[in-house]
Amino acid sequence: MNNYTLIIMTDDKQVVLERILQVTRYRGFLINGITAKVNTGNNIATIELLVSSDRPISLLTDQINKLVDIKGVTVDNNASQQPNAKKYSA
Amino acid sequence: MTDSKPLTGGGLLFNVLEQHGVNHIFGYPGGAIMPIYDALYDSNVKHFLCRHEQGAAFSAVGYARASGKVGVCMATSGPGATNLITGLADALADSIPLVAITGQVPTAAMGSDAFQETDIFGLSLACTKHSFQVSHVDELEKVLHQAFEIALEGRQGPVLVDIPKDVQIASVEQTFKSVAPLKNKVTLPLADISKALDLLTHAKQPILYVGGGVGMANAVEEVRAFASKTGIPSVSTLKGLGALDANDTNYLGMLGMHGTKAANLAVHDCDLLIAVGARFDDRVTGKLDQFAPDAKVIHFDIDISEINKRRKADAPILGDLKENLPLLTMPLSIENWQVKVQQMKHDFSWRYDHPGEQIFAPAVLKEVSELMPKNTCVTTDVGQHQMWAAQHMNFDEPCNFLTSGSMGTMGFGLPAAIGAQISRPHDTVITVSGDGSIMMNVQELATIKRYQIPVKIVLIDNAKLGMVRQWQDLFFEGRLSETDLADNPDFCMLATAFDIKAKQITQKSEVTAAINEMLDHDGPYFLQVKIDAKDNVWPLVPPNSANNEMMESA
Repeated sequence: MNNYTLIIMTDDKQVVLERILQVTRYRGFLINGITAKVNTGNNIATIELLVSSDRPISLLTDQINKLVDIKGVTVDNNASQQPNAKKYSA
Repeated sequence: MTDSKPLTGGGLLFNVLEQHGVNHIFGYPGGAIMPIYDALYDSNVKHFLCRHEQGAAFSAVGYARASGKVGVCMATSGPGATNLITGLADALADSIPLVAITGQVPTAAMGSDAFQETDIFGLSLACTKHSFQVSHVDELEKVLHQAFEIALEGRQGPVLVDIPKDVQIASVEQTFKSVAPLKNKVTLPLADISKALDLLTHAKQPILYVGGGVGMANAVEEVRAFASKTGIPSVSTLKGLGALDANDTNYLGMLGMHGTKAANLAVHDCDLLIAVGARFDDRVTGKLDQFAPDAKVIHFDIDISEINKRRKADAPILGDLKENLPLLTMPLSIENWQVKVQQMKHDFSWRYDHPGEQIFAPAVLKEVSELMPKNTCVTTDVGQHQMWAAQHMNFDEPCNFLTSGSMGTMGFGLPAAIGAQISRPHDTVITVSGDGSIMMNVQELATIKRYQIPVKIVLIDNAKLGMVRQWQDLFFEGRLSETDLADNPDFCMLATAFDIKAKQITQKSEVTAAINEMLDHDGPYFLQVKIDAKDNVWPLVPPNSANNEMMESA
């Protein structure tokens, strides 16, 4: 299993977090952690998503990028995941 | 709306539909969508009452696919909405532009487990391209315009708009008095084709692999010009059928699990695969790591997530096929390869010399194809008859062959044919179905009766769930579990009960006259074709096998 940290910028719209979690599960990635905050000034949300999978991360980033409200997705290669983070499937 | 009434959310819906050129919609009323149906009463939009919400969804899909417009369906909350879901999933899987309107319980009741309340917004996440729930009437107009834009933009797909009952009733002012006609917007720049050009000019055995994206990109003309000018031998996916000229000497037919032997062997031997609007689906590739094992790949697609998803592209070309493909259209010197594939096409051509007097379904469908008028639209259900139709019928355009490709939804054919016929009233529409599939949405015979829709139904009847039976025979030691339908209803009597002229044929000698009678009949017609229940679809690439390892008999 490979670990990845995704930084997702999105419009703060209805159920956008559910959409991201649904796509992440369906495409075969486990979620190890998540933080989210909204800039109320511009209604842009920033979501940091820690995921793991044997599959290439582009499979997930391409699909998240297709969601209508998403502004962009980057893979943060410098971030390190908490080794003891509880794993669960979204 | 009449001028004397204030505009409501429901009235606004129909104003926006009309702005987007929607003339016909498919639906079924119920409690939580009654204000919308009340507004329909004053609207110029023609509503077709289907007899199940799944029928409404598939009629909208058929309408969209046959006409190139956005299909629109609507249903009430709860079970009405959930009954749309199979149609939405089918539209998502086959990239069909659809707008689905659902009524919802009033906002004050939402989340209280109210009567006929279900979280269709949540349920929609996995089966739509996008979805909205309108929480205030002031959002409604913008959301509806967005729904049409999203349905059509880029890779097309279904969009659901869930409208609570109080929003439908509330008074509202319309802001946008007119809208510009929507097109399938593509904002991507022209692709870098230098790598593809290098691969193309050095290829000795290239194959053009054509998928459903060609029709959706409105690029049939460009693909045919490419095939003609380069002379590259071509193959088609199920959804790509109609994109290529079936009479082209270098066209080898469908590839994949039930593809032609020539198509599968040519793809296996090729050194360059040019995929246009195709996505290396598992029914196409067979065992993926043995699919076109020696080929480089040029992959044209509008959806970046399809690039490298199942097969690495040596030269990905992202963007509008209509713009990009002409950049590679040039004469090539591949005469030896052309001779080789044309020989394979000749050696492995279809045979129709089926022994005995019982009717051979491939021969019937070939004859229907030869006798049907130009620009006939054919829909199918799912199973053996679907594969026989794909193998043995020819289509002028992709919009003339409507079949549930990715989802493989039994019950698709009849309502899709209704939608297709409504969108193209002057063209002949034929649905080819099976005795299993027809029962999945058989209630739509009532829709045919109600509106006297002149759809021709060809029922390929082997009193079996034939494709599953075939697999049980081949791969499950003949253990025929729940695939016998010997107790089917009397189909001709059933059709007659809906005032549809019906005929049953059982012998080869009856076929030609029956097809002509069906095609000459002005109204709807139901032709039940009894076939030998033991007939299988050949060739067949077994599971987890390479496409060159196809079975040609049991």
